[in-house]
Parts: sequence; C-alpha cells; structure tokens
Amino acid sequence: MERADVGALVRAAVDGDAAAWKALVEGLSPLVWSVVRAHRLSDADGHEVYQTVWFRFAQHLGRIREPDKAGSWLASTARHECLKVIKGLTRLMPTDDQQLLDRPSEDLTPEQSLLDSEEADAQAERIRRLWQEFEELGERCRQLLRVLMATPPPSYQEVSSALGIAVGSIGPLRQRCLRRLRARLDARGAA
Amino acid sequence: MSGVRDDGFDGRFDDRFEDDEESAVDEEFDADILEEELRQAVAVLDPVPDELRQIAIEAFALHDMDAKLAELTFDSLVDAIPVRGAVDVPRMLTFTAGDLTVDVEVTPHGLLGQILPPQPAGIEVLGGPHPAAPTTLTADGMGRFAGDAGVSGPFALRLRTGGDVIVTEWLRA
Repeated sequence: MERADVGALVRAAVDGDAAAWKALVEGLSPLVWSVVRAHRLSDADGHEVYQTVWFRFAQHLGRIREPDKAGSWLASTARHECLKVIKGLTRLMPTDDQQLLDRPSEDLTPEQSLLDSEEADAQAERIRRLWQEFEELGERCRQLLRVLMATPPPSYQEVSSALGIAVGSIGPLRQRCLRRLRARLDARGAA
Repeated sequence: MSGVRDDGFDGRFDDRFEDDEESAVDEEFDADILEEELRQAVAVLDPVPDELRQIAIEAFALHDMDAKLAELTFDSLVDAIPVRGAVDVPRMLTFTAGDLTVDVEVTPHGLLGQILPPQPAGIEVLGGPHPAAPTTLTADGMGRFAGDAGVSGPFALRLRTGGDVIVTEWLRA
C-alpha cells in the first residue's frame, strides 16, 4: 500500500472509522501473513502470532508515531513475535532440531483442492512447479521472496522490518534469489 | 541495464549461491515477471486464511483510547538468561504504565501477579476482541492476584484500579 494512504487510513481509524480499519486489514494482512510464513511457524503458532500482531496494532493505533509507516510497524512486530516463538521452542527442546521448527502446513486450501481436481490444467501445473522450486530454494532466499510476494508488493522498508536486513541490500539480494529461481526452473524445463 | 552484477553482496545472506546465470537477457524485466508469478502463485497456494482476516477486522474493538497502555518492559523469554537444566521455567512478564508496574508469572497452571505500588484491582483476562466471558480476577490490598486457569494464545489483562483502566500490551502466552 502507498504510505500516504496507510497514514490517512490510520488517522481515520484513530478517529473511529471502522471502514478505514478494515481497509488497513485488507491492505496489510498479506504482509503480516507473509512474515509469519517466512519464519515457517507451525499453523497454530502462526495463527496466534498473526492475531497478536493485529490486536497489538489496534491497541497502539493512536500512539503510533509515524502512521505512514504502519506497514513497517506491523512487519517488525510480526518478526519479533515469530522470533519469540522460535526462541520458546528451542528453549523447550533438548537440541536445536530444525525439523521441529520446519513444519509447513499440510492442509490443502480449497484453491489447492481445485487445482488437484484439474490436474491437466497447464496453468495449475506451472504454478505448482514454480512453488516447488521456490520451496526448495535456500532458506534465506525462500524467506526473502516469501515476504516480497505479498499483495500489494511491500516497500523495501517493510521488507527490512520484516526480516531485519538492511534496505540497501534487499534489491541486490532479490535479483540474486529470483535469478536463482529462474535457473532452477530453466534446468527443470530442460530436463 | 546489463553487466551490473557486482552488488556488493558480502556472502552472508546465502553462501551456497552458484554462479547460475546463463545469459544477460534483460534481467530486471525477467525478475519483475518472475516475482509477479510468485505473487499469483501465493494468492492461490498460501493466502491469508479468511478466518484470520475476519479476526483482524474485529480487532478494531480493541482500540480503546480511554485505557492506559501498560507496555511490556520485561519478558523472560527474551530478557532472561536461561538456567542450564531448568525445565518448565515460568514465563515472567513485567508491564509498566507510568509509575505502575504489573508483574505476571505465566505457568501451565495459571497466572500469578503483583501490582506495584500495592493496591486492589479488578482484573479481566482478555483472549481476543469478543471474549465470551472473560476470566475475572481480583487483586487484594497487597496488589497480589492469582488465577488457576491456564492462559494460551494471545492475551491481555485489563485492570481497574481506583479511577483508572489499564490494559497490558497484547502478547502471546
């Protein structure tokens, strides 16, 4: 979302405008969800983090110093809550067993089920292939791209808040990760 | 744009990069298209769950400018040094609003708390925008309170002391 729009919506929501709040949720939910997914939490943990972030945002609404940067505020809050979950898990576990942290959802969304019923659909197959190669990218690339692919596309400031990496390094890293994904897809196509 | 390959990347981000680019086809253009394809894929394969979006919309009810916010100023999960060999250590939290602090200990068996300076208070344990019937606790004259219901997921405490309403920052138990 455009920062100016976000700022205006935050100010309207502070004044009690529920429609403005809804627009903020619609516009920034995918970013928050992307940050949660980028950290590969279990579904239960991820859902709780997502909710905690929005509850806290509602609570802080009138106190946010830079309303234009509410997207970064949300991304940063989501990141910190994700890191707390991971820290809590590692503290409970005798070893740093990455497998336990690394539990992507097994549940099929209705959309996925629809894809399954249309095996032959070339578009579905293309998406599936793309997703598979994306999932198999190195962890850091997977994380960066998972945040970048939110709708609407997040600003680099938001990506920086979401992942704790410098704004200036995001562009070059994005190029590298996408180039790498492209190469994987090409290699697969040629095989 | 071609030949701009030296991005100053220092190798920390992912040290397993291979030199996998093959030709200098219009890279910028290609990257944008690929990112857009990912954006379409994620909308199908991993969208925001509807029920979560709905909960976020309802969270507007938690916007309460009349209450004072007690900020989280200590969280043992982040700020404490773990004790070697200790298991089941309780989560210790401190919230601060001006001169008032609320210490809370979260265990699987419930909550234990202390308000400082000591004073009586009525306390609601909130779990979301529409709690069916929030658990209520009472702090005694010494500011002590205890609840035997376990807390899980997002939670906040709403305290009524004297004429003030104070709400602790939302966090995940």
